[in-house]
Amino acid sequence: MTKAQLFITCLGDQFYTSTLKSMTRILEDLGVELMFPPEQTCCGQPLFNNGFEDKTKGVALNFLKAFSKSDAPIVAPSGSCVSMIKHHYAELFPEGISEHDLAIDIASRTFEFTEYLVNVLKVTDVGAVYPHKVTYHATCHYLREMGLKTEAKTLLNSVKGLEFVSLKEEETCCGFGGAFIVTFPEVSRSMMENKVNDILACGADTVVMCEPGCLMNVAGGLHKAGSKVRAMHIIDLLASK
Amino acid sequence: MTNPILENIRKSLGRTDQISSPQGAPLSLRPAIYQPRQPESVESEIETFLNEIKKLSGIGQKLSPDGIDFALETLITDQNIRTATVWQTPHLRQLGVTEILNSFNIKLISPNADKHEMAQCDLGITEADFLLPETGTLALYSSTEKPRAVSLLPRIHLAIVRPEILRADMHQVFAEAKNSNYLVFITGPSRTADIELTVTLGVHGPKNLYVWVII
Amino acid sequence: MNETSPYIGFEEYSEHVPTSIPLAVQQATGRFVSGRAARVAELPQWEELRQIGSDIRQHTIENMDGYLTHLEAAVLSAGGHVHWAESGEDARQIVLQIAKENKVKSVVKSKSMATEEIHLNRALEAAGIESLETDLGEYIIQLAGTGPSHIIVPAVHLTKEEIAVLFSKHLGIDAPNDPIELARIARETLREKFLSAEMGISGGNFLIAETGTLVMVTNEGNGRMCTTMPDIHVAVVGIDKVIPDWDSLTVFLKLLARSATGQKLSTYTQFITGPRHAEGEGGPKEFHLVLLDNGRSKILKDPVGRDVLKCIRCGACANVCPVYKNVGGFAYGSFISGPIGAILSPQMLGTQAARELPFASTLCGACADVCPVKIPIPTILRHLRRRVSQGDEFSKPTLSTSIRVTASLASFALAQNWLYRFGTRVLPTFMSIFKRGNWISNAPYPLSRWTKARPLPSFTASFRNWWKKEKDSTK
Repeated sequence: MTKAQLFITCLGDQFYTSTLKSMTRILEDLGVELMFPPEQTCCGQPLFNNGFEDKTKGVALNFLKAFSKSDAPIVAPSGSCVSMIKHHYAELFPEGISEHDLAIDIASRTFEFTEYLVNVLKVTDVGAVYPHKVTYHATCHYLREMGLKTEAKTLLNSVKGLEFVSLKEEETCCGFGGAFIVTFPEVSRSMMENKVNDILACGADTVVMCEPGCLMNVAGGLHKAGSKVRAMHIIDLLASK
Repeated sequence: MTNPILENIRKSLGRTDQISSPQGAPLSLRPAIYQPRQPESVESEIETFLNEIKKLSGIGQKLSPDGIDFALETLITDQNIRTATVWQTPHLRQLGVTEILNSFNIKLISPNADKHEMAQCDLGITEADFLLPETGTLALYSSTEKPRAVSLLPRIHLAIVRPEILRADMHQVFAEAKNSNYLVFITGPSRTADIELTVTLGVHGPKNLYVWVII
Repeated sequence: MNETSPYIGFEEYSEHVPTSIPLAVQQATGRFVSGRAARVAELPQWEELRQIGSDIRQHTIENMDGYLTHLEAAVLSAGGHVHWAESGEDARQIVLQIAKENKVKSVVKSKSMATEEIHLNRALEAAGIESLETDLGEYIIQLAGTGPSHIIVPAVHLTKEEIAVLFSKHLGIDAPNDPIELARIARETLREKFLSAEMGISGGNFLIAETGTLVMVTNEGNGRMCTTMPDIHVAVVGIDKVIPDWDSLTVFLKLLARSATGQKLSTYTQFITGPRHAEGEGGPKEFHLVLLDNGRSKILKDPVGRDVLKCIRCGACANVCPVYKNVGGFAYGSFISGPIGAILSPQMLGTQAARELPFASTLCGACADVCPVKIPIPTILRHLRRRVSQGDEFSKPTLSTSIRVTASLASFALAQNWLYRFGTRVLPTFMSIFKRGNWISNAPYPLSRWTKARPLPSFTASFRNWWKKEKDSTK
């Protein structure tokens, strides 16, 4: 039986309980036996991206310890967190020490949710039904650091009833940027408003993405604009029947 | 001889040798470059070249030597040309460019004239030393017979060129030209988009570029 | 050794961006981005070219001492003069000295980032020498008395109406609101200056070590004017502009204009090796090359940060940068803006620029995707953030103590999973004070900086309990 470990990410943990439940259900329906290491916290990216490399190490060690109890792949609902683990954990620990090798091992079996579905399980249809006009925002780390260009759209493509609408500047950042959103709030706001305006202009009633952080930003922006357009994690859409 | 900047660079790069090789790395050690473009037939290269000139808002055409007379007359009328200056090259002399201009009563100014006088000129006629079809580029050397200002100061630049100077890619041009003291690539007429991105031709250099390929 | 420029502060500026700036900037960048995309699509070997361009720049940086030595010898043997300037002040003194020796009263300048960097115009004017920018955009901003807001179109933030007012005021004419007419007026005004100036000052896009050749890429023709009409030509060029040979140049010429403006080649590309050979050919009788260090040799010491010196100044990174597009060039407080400015200024200017600019990015990575010489901009941003936050072998940390303490606390909480789990239990209760429906619209500081622009979803944090109840208990 296929096994996997859930990494729910700190933002998922704090804000997206129902998305995490949907993720559990989709994977279990596909016959994956899931494990949830309760010692998990955060991947450490907020510290790492703000220059606190030395303070990231302890957080990364906690992650490595929590997930090395099993050999099973690790699946997370965030391209950004997975990218942190895949691309930066090994550089936190010098070559030759055991944590470095462990980081490389863990990196090789950590996957973003859509990546795991399409590229590992080879599943492109999860039997979802969603009769709406849907657009897609390509989040930065998912797209550029992870290089996931087609996975989300492949999955959307087999959702019954779904009409896909393309988004102008689909690949432009929404202005979240982790700490950026509170460091330069006015710049972040302009970027978010550009994104929200593009979403409103495209005529979709739903916008999906694969990143909890960006989702918080865009959903909040749509709410503030008084819009009825739903912003959701792709997992929630794929769980619709 | 100590040069503090070079010393700083050497320190930053962690050099320890006592300038044993003042020339540093041999030039040949740089990473390999890509394959240059291969030429197509002369006819096709001319077509590509003229097509690019057109895209650049230049005016290009093929002409037989007999057609120059009429083409110049048309250009003179269209652009209201009164004064002109011409490169003193065998090719242009052979085509009788100066004589034709004289026959239309155009006032000729020496290409080596004072810059203030040159600036009054309506038309500058040059040839080119190389043509790059892919980009619609003219490459011009400079010398006493081929002064730089002729392609720069007059409001109209006409280059009368021969197909023999077509080169497939920059590599060939550079291989032949690298030891000259001056070379300029001209790719279309002078342009700017500095005010509200409105494309304006002829901001400092010539406003119109004519290229006649003599076949 | 290097100078510090007045730096306004990114955050301060970003809170008061004039509304016209993002609009104007986005119009320009939009055009450049689509132009670039079209050119890239035509060239099947584009990615190969980028890689070669990157490799050659890397190689040149690592052998800069050798190539500069070659270059100097070649310029001298072509009859040119070479001056080495350690600092901006050195460079200004060198230029002033050349001007003095030749009794120069007026100078025409073609667009140059290096002379913007060292504020050469101010120094010339202080010495009583008229110094006129001749690139149309630079001419306009010189009249306006500001710096460039975009590397390719420096006056993009000004409307034709504002430019007409500037022209009317400074030229004593009644200038119309028409871009083509305004360009014509500039042509006529500047032509007189080209013909009378004794000295032309330019920058340079590349310096070819093989033959000592200065390569200048321009569109308007003013670059040719400045290097052809006056008797003296002075080129002020950063030492990072050196490239090995002419074959290398083919790669960069193919990359540069396509990346910058979406042209295959810019209108005029000049290859200048020393002064004129004969009076009749035109061009300057003296050629001076001022090689500017101004902190570059120090940047070379940092194996990560020095990749910034690979830059060929195309501006493509700024054109795709969502941060730049919303604040414009002035926010970066320096002669060079956008992502490349955010990694160059901190290394050259130090102090406040270093503390702020590396953070002025969402690390979205769009810049690195388009960089024609593959500068890993996000990696360098992180590297410079680390210098600020925790310090490295080049600098002590400069971040405020309060933020560093906060980071330590966060790190501790996230590494001790019991503490994190405790927080996860109490946060929803605490934050529920601020909840309105499913949203939090007025969170306490620092989250207030978030909720000022958009609400925060409410903290739910119940997955762990659900899992315990549903899954762990059934096993």
